[in-house]
Amino acid sequence: MADLNSQPPLRFQGHRHLIQRLVLSTLTGRPIRVTNIRSTSVENPGLASHEVSFLRLLESVTNGSQIEFSYTGTALAYRPGLITGSATGYGADAGGVLKHEIPAGCTRGVSYFLIPLCLLAPFSKSPINVQFTGPGVITSATPTGDVSVDTVRTAILPLYEQFGITNKLEIRTTQRSNPGPGGKGGAGEVQLIFGHQVRLPKTVHLLNPGRIKSIRGVAYATGVAGANNARMIEAARGVLNPFVADTRIFSENTSAGFIPAPDKSNPRAKRKLGIGFGLSLVAESSTGVRYSADVASPVTGGVPPEDIGVQCANQLLEVVEQGGCVSAVAAPTLLTLMAMGSEDVGRIQLGRDVLGSENVLQLARDFKEFGLSGWGLRDAGEGSDDIVVSIVGKGVGNVGRKTA
Amino acid sequence: ARMIHGQKRPYRTTELARLMYDLTLTPAAVLQKWRGEEDQAEDAEMVGDDDFFKKAKAVSDLDDDDRTIPVFDYERLATKWSNPEIFDALRQRVTAGGLHGQSLG
Repeated sequence: MADLNSQPPLRFQGHRHLIQRLVLSTLTGRPIRVTNIRSTSVENPGLASHEVSFLRLLESVTNGSQIEFSYTGTALAYRPGLITGSATGYGADAGGVLKHEIPAGCTRGVSYFLIPLCLLAPFSKSPINVQFTGPGVITSATPTGDVSVDTVRTAILPLYEQFGITNKLEIRTTQRSNPGPGGKGGAGEVQLIFGHQVRLPKTVHLLNPGRIKSIRGVAYATGVAGANNARMIEAARGVLNPFVADTRIFSENTSAGFIPAPDKSNPRAKRKLGIGFGLSLVAESSTGVRYSADVASPVTGGVPPEDIGVQCANQLLEVVEQGGCVSAVAAPTLLTLMAMGSEDVGRIQLGRDVLGSENVLQLARDFKEFGLSGWGLRDAGEGSDDIVVSIVGKGVGNVGRKTA
Repeated sequence: ARMIHGQKRPYRTTELARLMYDLTLTPAAVLQKWRGEEDQAEDAEMVGDDDFFKKAKAVSDLDDDDRTIPVFDYERLATKWSNPEIFDALRQRVTAGGLHGQSLG
């Protein structure tokens, strides 16, 4: 441990890509120091509430992490510990469930926490079992650009199969919620069970995007009439049916969840939060590649469900057209897992616009910063516009399972 | 021939591999260069730099935050995908399971 602690922290600036840096830091064990977090913002400088909440989550699934904020929250020092998961006695209850409460002011969907947590989970010492509760859990897609929990379940989790991580992966949505008034808060409840820990993820070669064979989807209406679902599905099918005949969209109609809203006359008063509707679509290809699209009703309302359905269907077509073996939504997850794999070359075919997006480029740079391998790029050829990215794994793997 | 060579071909893979790790450019600038969109935006900014007391740019947190789903212009998408030619071009990405596709066209 001595040499690990003597490593100087890597320095970063700004709040962009903070989560991916925290994840990489935890996986590689390199401490980081981030400065100038929204330091020019007049209204809300420093870390936002969802970022602080994510740091708390990191602290609860690791052992020995040190997190320090500056007084204004514009600077952050993070020294990662060991990923222990939901071990009893380290914050988890007797059943091994770790409860994570998301504060009411949260504007990000629960997928903002789920996707990075899933990245850490295979490298954990014991299984990860986290229940997200509290007045800030939004399970739908959000205007801030998060996917819905259905997309995580049907498009992100299956990615782990490629790396040999298949068992005991589950996301349970016990209460759905859309964003509350002003895009803030929700009354959802989601449990992530990630029970398959590995020493090293397998090396993957994804070079054949295949052809789209089916489209599945979930339409959700929370606290509003179920007819909205039918209308969204009808509109989306209108666009997609000529494209893929095998289109099935499921309908989920639930009532909105309650959050405590105590007032003077009734300290145990509750109110409903997070009504709305939305649609999540996933197209699956013959080789198991999944493309996803997500649209939810805006917080201000006033958009008919037909429009949501058509928007979502169009978004799906656009993502399919971008091509490659992974969509832009799932690319960071897949690329990170590849970089953490054994010291062998993994290859993946990416669409030109997927690779050429700011998020993915910054990920490439951050990999280099953390001492992971650089990417090799070449044209895919064979009449395809895609680019093949080769990544040499770093073989960091699971520190907690070294001896196992 | 010089005309062709003088003009940089956009979207070249080797070009991106070179630009990707050039840390003097921001990712957004890399993409702009790679796509061959000339940096007119940059020129405009240079002119603006003359006045020293510039108002700090109002940073909208929403636009500036990390997004998983990129922002789509749905009106543009709607017109794009209602165009039968573009739609049919995508049909080749579908398994020819049923009779849809070729026979309907």
